[in-house]
Amino acid sequence: MKTVRIRFSKTGRAKYISHLDLSRVMQRALRRAAVPLWYTEGFNRHPYVTFAAPLSLGFEGLRETMDFRLVEEMDYGELTRRLDEAVPEGIHVLSAADPVMKPGQIARARYRLSVEGGLGLLAEFLALPEIPAEKRTKKGGMKTIDLKPALLETAVEEQEGQTALELLLPCGGETVNPSLVWTAYGAFSGDSRPAAVLRLDLYDEAGNSFA
Amino acid sequence: MDNRLDKLFLQVQKPARYTGGELNSVYKDRDKVNIRFAFCFPDLYEVGMSHLGMKILYGMMNDVEDVWCERVFAPDQDMEALMRQEDIPLFGLESRDPIGTFDFLGFTLQYELSFTGILNMLELARVPLHASGRGDDCPLVIGGGPCACNPEPLCDFFDLFTLGEGEEVNLELINLYRRHKAEGFSRRRFLREAAQIEGVYVPSLYEVSYHDDGTVKAVTPRDGAPETVRKRIIADLDACYYPDRFVVPFIDIVHDRAMSEIFRGCIRGCRFCQAGFIYRPVREKSVDTIDRQSRTLCENTGYEEFSLSSLSTSDYTGLTELLPRLLDWAEPEHTNISLPSLRVDGFSEELAARLNVLRRSGLTFAPEAGTQRLRDAINKNLTEEEILGTARKAFAGGWTAVKLYFMMGLPTETLEDVAGIASLGQKIVNCYYDNPDKPKGKGVTVSVSVSCFVPKPFTPFQWEPQDTAEQLKEKQTHLRQSVTTKKISLSWHDADISYLEGVLARGDRRLGAVIEGAFRRGCKLDSWSQYFSLEAWRQAFEEAGLDPAFYANRRRPFEEVLPWDHLDYGVTKEFMIKENQKAHESVTTPHCRQQCSACGAARWKGGVCIENRQNPVQ
Repeated sequence: MKTVRIRFSKTGRAKYISHLDLSRVMQRALRRAAVPLWYTEGFNRHPYVTFAAPLSLGFEGLRETMDFRLVEEMDYGELTRRLDEAVPEGIHVLSAADPVMKPGQIARARYRLSVEGGLGLLAEFLALPEIPAEKRTKKGGMKTIDLKPALLETAVEEQEGQTALELLLPCGGETVNPSLVWTAYGAFSGDSRPAAVLRLDLYDEAGNSFA
Repeated sequence: MDNRLDKLFLQVQKPARYTGGELNSVYKDRDKVNIRFAFCFPDLYEVGMSHLGMKILYGMMNDVEDVWCERVFAPDQDMEALMRQEDIPLFGLESRDPIGTFDFLGFTLQYELSFTGILNMLELARVPLHASGRGDDCPLVIGGGPCACNPEPLCDFFDLFTLGEGEEVNLELINLYRRHKAEGFSRRRFLREAAQIEGVYVPSLYEVSYHDDGTVKAVTPRDGAPETVRKRIIADLDACYYPDRFVVPFIDIVHDRAMSEIFRGCIRGCRFCQAGFIYRPVREKSVDTIDRQSRTLCENTGYEEFSLSSLSTSDYTGLTELLPRLLDWAEPEHTNISLPSLRVDGFSEELAARLNVLRRSGLTFAPEAGTQRLRDAINKNLTEEEILGTARKAFAGGWTAVKLYFMMGLPTETLEDVAGIASLGQKIVNCYYDNPDKPKGKGVTVSVSVSCFVPKPFTPFQWEPQDTAEQLKEKQTHLRQSVTTKKISLSWHDADISYLEGVLARGDRRLGAVIEGAFRRGCKLDSWSQYFSLEAWRQAFEEAGLDPAFYANRRRPFEEVLPWDHLDYGVTKEFMIKENQKAHESVTTPHCRQQCSACGAARWKGGVCIENRQNPVQ
């Protein structure tokens, strides 16, 4: 038995596949691709797939990862090709490799938030000494956190009437969802436009791409 | 459209119901197709996507190069509100184009309680509700499926119905339409010609007159339409189209698995069961075909489970040959086989263990009635000894739960029969405690689920009065009082919903106004109890000047012209009258493989009617 890590993108219509549903979609794709899968033992046997960092419903992702286990060796090029043929529209399997890092090493995630038009009050927003936001706790309650220290890196780019805001946020331990930042900006600026969210990559503490 | 829809998708529950893009969904170039077909299921995605008929017709039509068939379901409340607010018309899941511009809107008529949902979808599609109000540029609104056997309440809203099995007749309709479209489409001309296709019923070509008492006097065809419209059947299921792939949904749906149809029809002839009569004669697929189709479907979908689909799995003659064949490839691939409507007793222990029959489904029985006398009256060939014998076996195997399905309000039913439900449950409880090897410290649970009997067209009970909701509630109370142990848990269906189902099932054309009235009062998903409003329906009946009891609670004489008498499903009225009389004498009728009872379905010279019976006459 050996564990494989694939990278894939999830864009277009596929962004509406929820995390829970994605697991089923991928299990079935692996079966269609006739990959020599390892199945769990026990009452309800199923292929074992895990995702390092769940992606919110409605977000797109460029370098998502999924791990699963094989019962025998398989050429990674062949695996990538067969699995890419078996996944639904909007998902692309980019590569397969032996896992290098543990999912627990993930510390940051980079996102791009895009809107039509400009972001007039963004500079003021980012210059605020404190950015309070309401965050849901694991127990279902709400708590107020300060987003300011969570904005590890920010960059703005304007192009062809579109504005893109790039954010590097904590991910893994105290995860900060980019929609919190967008909601806080909306509250600050009165801007109610929805932003399209794209996750660019995941990193460890040292800033290495998750591999 | 895409941008506007994207905004909506982010605001609703389960957006994957509306996005399309599932594996195996079909995309074509809209500029290169000639005929656009919207397959409409008037219920939520999770229900509609579980329906085998849609998968068959979707695949079949999309195999035709110039036809693009798309899926459309009823949007849930949150999505509908946003669509109305943002002024977005109902769209096909694949192209996201408004279906009001399509050539065909094909509704599947699976249950009566979906009728108001159809009107809601037409309104959301911005298609005139009334067939008479549609011009040549409107889509043709067509319907098929089991409720097409009495489509009279829907006649105002449909251009035509197809009776019986849809594989051939839908393609014939499309071919006719293609010709008319090329020559310049006129709705009137098209419908007149369509009525000449066997199995096509064009209601506007039939005039219905009524007696003063409200019963039907006569149904008169015009413009050359046939006196009676006969249903279509597929003679050879091995040669018939069957999809090699299903659309695989992202979200969890009611039946999320591959399905292999193993036969159509049913040999049993239970007198309450509409499916048992309208799908006659029984026609089987061969073991080879089923094996091949099942395997292909699993390979193309990645499904981890497939089910064998039919009205009564145990009656498939090749079952003991088929199951090991399927298991030989399914087991190594970790693919489960699910066997609904199966009699557990016919299996060897080894096969039962390989199939995990009990593990997955638990032990369920459908005795339908509590006493042998009533089971004989409804021709349900299941004896108490068979039920208890299987329960004993299961308990000996360590099982501690049994589920039983019954109906209440069956013709000839007395309070004694109702109490019989409780005593049959009690006997099963006793079986458990009589088992010397029962697990220590564990009790038994017998779940009794009771639905309300609804008389349906094309059954021997089509003339029977339906119990009123009050009568049913009284019987429910009697049953509750007859149960004296906590080991039996009772549950039942809503008597009011069953009552409405009964009214619509045996209704006539005048009910069109009632359905529309209920829809105007907000009814649109009547089969979901949280949306059902009997009060809205009551008002709609009052407004139309009609009495629901006339349709549901009246015994109809055999001589009366029934609203569906001009439709022909093969089984003759003479046979059904005879069956009705036998029911009142509690006399059973042997099933098709024991003896032919001359029901009329032999006119197709197919399936069980010509196969060599092992015991020709008993």
